[in-house]
Amino acid sequence: MEVKDIVDLKTIKTDMTASSKEEAIQELAEVLRHNDYITDVEGFLKDIYAREEVGQTGIGNYIAIPHGNSASVKKIGVSIGITQEEIPWETLDGKGVKGIILFAVGRENDGAQNHLKLLSLFARKLGNDDVIEKLLQSKTAVDVQEALCN
Amino acid sequence: MKIVGVAACTVGIAHTYIAQEKLENAGKKAGHDISVETQGTIGTENELTQQQIAEADIVIIAADVKIAGRERFEGKRIIQVPTEIAVKSPNKLLEKAVEVVNQKESLK
Repeated sequence: MEVKDIVDLKTIKTDMTASSKEEAIQELAEVLRHNDYITDVEGFLKDIYAREEVGQTGIGNYIAIPHGNSASVKKIGVSIGITQEEIPWETLDGKGVKGIILFAVGRENDGAQNHLKLLSLFARKLGNDDVIEKLLQSKTAVDVQEALCN
Repeated sequence: MKIVGVAACTVGIAHTYIAQEKLENAGKKAGHDISVETQGTIGTENELTQQQIAEADIVIIAADVKIAGRERFEGKRIIQVPTEIAVKSPNKLLEKAVEVVNQKESLK
């Protein structure tokens, strides 16, 4: 069981075109829908924004981690987007965001202990400055995977 | 210095673990012996042992929700902050912890 098992190359976008937080979240949610992680974008977004209400998901260093528990989630996973231009976001250090990681986690997670464990290991990676630096420089999905998994 | 901590955020899938990682990395870098328990969606992990708690100079609780087992720290010096603080400024938080411990020592 490694972080690699939860980083899906199909849900990584290094050519994000979004220029706002709303567009970025929408774009990544559609990627999750397309790859069968969630059943519907609308219901999922409602739960993501419910979490946004509670507090900042911009953790500093140009990274944001929108997340929430949603009944629309079929399979626990993450979608990762990298932008070239900074997107305005509520962040802990007041900077914008260039790396967005959208977490998909269900309401009921029975039998999903392994995936939750992977997700926690993944989240820990985001606490490392070198990982973040490499992540933001990624040009391809494989670069992103390498940044997070090595 | 010996430090124990607990991290717990509202949803329990992201901030908890980022806070743990940042605190442990910053602590080790500053030469402390640090261990942070996480209370997340998956349950409690890296649970602190009685010995770790007994030996700790200070307890750092980085939480946005009520933590389980707070009574374990009765009688110990505790710093409590939201997870955001541990994520944003782990080094400063540890400096503060050292300060609090030193103050306590000088009062003895």
